[in-house]
Amino acid sequence: MGKFDISRRGFVQGGLGLTMANFVPGTTPFAQAATMEESTIAAAKAAGPAGVNGMIWSPYLVPMQPVIAEFQKQTGIGIGAVQDISIFDAPQRAMAEALSRSPQFDFIHIDSNMIPSLVSAGYLEPLDEYIKKANFKFEAVGDYGSFMTYGGHTYGVPTDGNVHIQYLRKDLVENPDNKKRFADKFGKELKFPETWEENLRLQEFLMDPSKDLYGSGNLRNRANGVTWWYMIFYSAGGFPFDDDMKPTLDTPAGQYAVDIYLQDKKVNHPEAANWGTPQMIPRIAQGHVVSCQYWDGTAKLNENPEKSKTTGKWLYGLVPGSDFSGKRMYRSISSPLAAILINKYSPRKAQAAYLALWLGSGKNSIPIVTDPVNTFNDAWSTEHMSSPLVKKAYSPEGVKAIETNFKVVAPPIYLTGYLEFQDALGKNLSEAYVGQLPAKDVLKKTEQEWAGIIKRIGQSKLKKDLASYKAVMPKRDTPA
Amino acid sequence: MAVSALPARDAPLATSTRTVSRRRAVRRFKLTLLLPLIGLFLFLLTPVLLLQLYFSVHQWTVYLSSWWDADYVCLDLFRDVLTDPRFGWAVVRSLAFATGSTIGCFVFGFLLAYLMYKPFHGQAIYYVIFILPMLTVPVVVAYTAEMLLYQNGPINDVISILLGVDFKPSWLTNPHIALFTVACLEVWNWTPFSFIIMLAGLSAIPKEPIEAAEILGASKWRIFWEVQVPLLRPVILLALVLRFLEAMAEFPKTWALFQGGPGSATETLPVYIFMTTWQYFEISKGAAMSYIVMLLMIVIVLVAIQLLRREKRSLDAMYEQGAKETEA
Repeated sequence: MGKFDISRRGFVQGGLGLTMANFVPGTTPFAQAATMEESTIAAAKAAGPAGVNGMIWSPYLVPMQPVIAEFQKQTGIGIGAVQDISIFDAPQRAMAEALSRSPQFDFIHIDSNMIPSLVSAGYLEPLDEYIKKANFKFEAVGDYGSFMTYGGHTYGVPTDGNVHIQYLRKDLVENPDNKKRFADKFGKELKFPETWEENLRLQEFLMDPSKDLYGSGNLRNRANGVTWWYMIFYSAGGFPFDDDMKPTLDTPAGQYAVDIYLQDKKVNHPEAANWGTPQMIPRIAQGHVVSCQYWDGTAKLNENPEKSKTTGKWLYGLVPGSDFSGKRMYRSISSPLAAILINKYSPRKAQAAYLALWLGSGKNSIPIVTDPVNTFNDAWSTEHMSSPLVKKAYSPEGVKAIETNFKVVAPPIYLTGYLEFQDALGKNLSEAYVGQLPAKDVLKKTEQEWAGIIKRIGQSKLKKDLASYKAVMPKRDTPA
Repeated sequence: MAVSALPARDAPLATSTRTVSRRRAVRRFKLTLLLPLIGLFLFLLTPVLLLQLYFSVHQWTVYLSSWWDADYVCLDLFRDVLTDPRFGWAVVRSLAFATGSTIGCFVFGFLLAYLMYKPFHGQAIYYVIFILPMLTVPVVVAYTAEMLLYQNGPINDVISILLGVDFKPSWLTNPHIALFTVACLEVWNWTPFSFIIMLAGLSAIPKEPIEAAEILGASKWRIFWEVQVPLLRPVILLALVLRFLEAMAEFPKTWALFQGGPGSATETLPVYIFMTTWQYFEISKGAAMSYIVMLLMIVIVLVAIQLLRREKRSLDAMYEQGAKETEA
């Protein structure tokens, strides 16, 4: 019997007990209505059994399967056909589905930053009604739950927090010899970095390329590097557009972010310009990196002694912030934020929506975000933060770092045309990183390219989107 | 026989009628074979070309309307593409990549074919080995190469040992050599294609001219340059043209390894068209680009066909002259 199994007798007895309890004065709290999970089951049962088809990358799906099996047992709703597509290729495929108004997929598992584009292309089903019927609540840390909203509606259910946290090699920072040398050289204590500048100084000081130990494990490739740039830019008080949807990248905050971004070159591996996660994650776990900001799931890998040489050797915490704007500001990032979105053209959209809500409950998703092998789904719910299983998987410090960073987490460009905006910026940053473009021209060139995108999509449309973008930005400068 | 039964004066007329009728029959046979294929071709291709044409003269913003509501913009998109420096660079990169990799494939393919065209013991094993790279899926080639080509990876290590120097180029991260890296992989992947074509060509060369040259005391080198290569010219041209066209469309390895990076070093035509269409969702601009590239390829193919015909004519003339000289 699985841990979710409820026998019929038990269910009836429980129901009778709760009903009786309602009549006992002072015991009302014990006789509350059904839990969120039970309401989801009830609403799903009403929608009828079905095998729902979806597009999802297998590393994400595998740990979900036991939870889906339980849902199927209780509701008759399970997974039908699945197309295994990488989350990095999913946006293109999803857009092709949207343009052809295809009912092929009932759900897609994709970067939630695609929500504005997919809604604008008419593909997504709002989940508000299903959420209401299932009595579902996003138990997300901080303002993170709002990342699923656009234009006042909710369109997705997160399965993977994917927030960036700061990683720092504890053994190196706490080494007395290193501490002394650092104090002698800089007149300061060697400690967890609070700003980008401190982080760079620490990375430069502790790196030792002769031992294949590099200061940074941040990504700087064309596809992913831009994610790091946003953190620096936002923390310097920057925002990419003004209220009139004119690009505001080429500003002091923007130039500061480019400068910090490019300085990573002196502390990162010489081949970082083309490295993605398949290259960098093993280097982090195998001890070739001093410090980095990285997706939180890597903590789970680091703390798995079967897969890591650095178990117990890490400090986890808040990503560096910046004083550039005149006040200390921290901004982490969540991208790609994997979420389940529902196809408006699907004949089984209700069933798919309830399955998504089932998977998105904090309680149900604990086994999903703690899978030690398929580490793609990362913790995000308040329930995860207090779960002993999650703490065991990520380490208590890792969980604390995740929770802290969620409080100041921001999205990348949350607008219709997200991929277009992002790729133009990513390309130009990458060109600057490899010396094809002068640093001072990166933002000027990007603004020109963005102006073309804004013209094509329409300034008035994007101005409306801007409200949703601003609404999902964190409301506090520091997590405290 | 029917021909000998005819009166002598009627014979030329009958032959001429028969020739005409035979030619008609051959034409009918050709048409019978070709028409269904042409029909199928038109049925499959015409809607695509028409739809593409529609998109290339209509500005469709995927987020704002359905494709049939797109605004007519005449040739604006073609002008946009032709004045887009990124497109220009993509053309340059693709031409450089296709030229380099085609030459590489051809040189190695020809070399292998030359070593292999005379039968020897165990030849079949070598055939299989030489053809294997072509049977490897390009994406697999890319991912395998990625593991081998790191700066401290096995390829650099082996070359360092062989040369006795510290050989550490950044095959995957240096923007100046990234395209060269993909070209090398293309050569490895597709040399067998040139090998097969050149092997067929070498095997089809008549033995007589070579034997005659040998009897006259010509060296192997001279026989190669003055007998075999001229006889192989149409085959060489075919191998080069087919490989060049294929290389212009190379996408899987470039995308799997670089996705256009580092910087924009590997942003070739297929990569840029893919990005424009499916990353920026500029379907209309992508369609206009595809049309321009298609026209470019048509020009290349037409030139190639002309060259092939010329080569074939000169080869026919050479054989004819040889036959006449033998008769004389």
